[in-house]
Amino acid sequence: MAGSSTSYYFVIIGTKDNPLYEAEFGSFKQGGDGIPKFREEQRHMNQFIAHSSLDCIEDQQWASKEMYLKTVDKFNNTWVSCFLTGGNIKFLLVHDTRSDEPIRQFFADVYDLYCKTLMNPFYEVNMAIRSQTFDQKIKAAAKKYL
Amino acid sequence: MFLFRLRSSRVFSLAVTMVVYAVLILNKAGGLIYQRDFNPGLQKLSSNDYLILAGTFHGVHAITSQISPTNETSSSGLEVLESENFVMRCFQTLTGTKFLIFAEPRQQNLDVVVRRVYELYADYVMKNPFYQIEMPIRSEGFDRHLTSYIKPHQ
Amino acid sequence: MSSTSRARLGEEVWKLRTDKINAELVTLTYGSVVAQLCKDLDGDYAEVNKQLDKMGYNIGLRLIEDFLAKSNMQQKCANFRDTADVISKVGFKMFLNITPTIVNWSSDNKQFSLLFDENPLADFVELPDDGKAQSDLWYSNMLCGVIRGALEMVQMSVDAHFVSDVLRGNDTTEMRINLIRYIEDEMPQDDE
Repeated sequence: MAGSSTSYYFVIIGTKDNPLYEAEFGSFKQGGDGIPKFREEQRHMNQFIAHSSLDCIEDQQWASKEMYLKTVDKFNNTWVSCFLTGGNIKFLLVHDTRSDEPIRQFFADVYDLYCKTLMNPFYEVNMAIRSQTFDQKIKAAAKKYL
Repeated sequence: MFLFRLRSSRVFSLAVTMVVYAVLILNKAGGLIYQRDFNPGLQKLSSNDYLILAGTFHGVHAITSQISPTNETSSSGLEVLESENFVMRCFQTLTGTKFLIFAEPRQQNLDVVVRRVYELYADYVMKNPFYQIEMPIRSEGFDRHLTSYIKPHQ
Repeated sequence: MSSTSRARLGEEVWKLRTDKINAELVTLTYGSVVAQLCKDLDGDYAEVNKQLDKMGYNIGLRLIEDFLAKSNMQQKCANFRDTADVISKVGFKMFLNITPTIVNWSSDNKQFSLLFDENPLADFVELPDDGKAQSDLWYSNMLCGVIRGALEMVQMSVDAHFVSDVLRGNDTTEMRINLIRYIEDEMPQDDE
């Protein structure tokens, strides 16, 4: 596990549990350099952790009226936070430190960018998001909040 | 003489009269695409007669747009025809369509009426994607709105 | 009619005599038309362009009457430069609330370009990444058809086509309009 700087693994999951977009960031706060510091095994684990949290999300999604479900799962020292859109698209963030408010703001930005992607007539729901602009803007949002 | 009181929220003590006898619309080639009588006052013609009337008027309009009694270089063609029984106003759009309004002799503001008829045509006839341009107009919406504009209480 | 009074007329018709509709609805509707055409025609973008132009042509034939009725234009334009001005300041303003800039007049005054700094039809659009769309598809080609149809109804035969598009990665979105000839019918309006 990384030392003092935190790293994040972010993935967007479609309605069929298929990943549409994934990214890793390191924190820029407290002198962090923004580069994710996951060990090799940890990177594979991130995907499993995210995947297994989908069950927890399904349990919790009808209990809350909010789209932001906060932290839905915990595995050893890693937390999984989730934002669930009305179209059943899940934004998952795997992280090792708890922080509610910045993550909420980050998800709000991601949601905005996702809506804009949906407006593109050539993009269909559940298609992988390959746009460079989307990628750059997600990384900028991560830099801003995380 | 028919008198119609226009209902409105503003206080109007005068009655506004609008007695339009008939509306004709001619396409670019001079063919009749719409004919409707609203108030009695004109002689009833057969549909063939109306076609001939339209074609004749189209020719006359063409001639009058090329000659002019004054020294003007460009003439707009026949615009108003007055007789003791009716007045006729012709409005030709930049696309070549002609609107003929027949009304009672002392009817004023006919150009406002013509403009409104043109607006209704642009809305209910042209915006219907199934209407074939230059063909006779068979639009229920156009008929309805035109009637309620020209004869508001009937 | 001077250029500023045309701008004012355009503004006035847009504000007072036009019903408004949600912009996203227009963008999404146009977008789904283009996307469906691309699917139906199997990625033959040249054919998609042609179909968009045809649809625009049918729209233009009808739109011109609405334009003339609402804007109350009674006089014909004196020359093609006037036509360009009216298209930009009154036409586009009335229907899309944009005023493209007129540039690049040819020396014989028969060709000009419209520069679009905003294009409501193409908001949020990114062309598909299949290698052909970026070089073959003119996304807003319907606008070219609209101009061609509308001007044909007022006796002008023109050719309109896009020469650059920001969706394709170019710096500007530019449409070139070229007057082919005035359509004289059997009774010319002026005494030439």
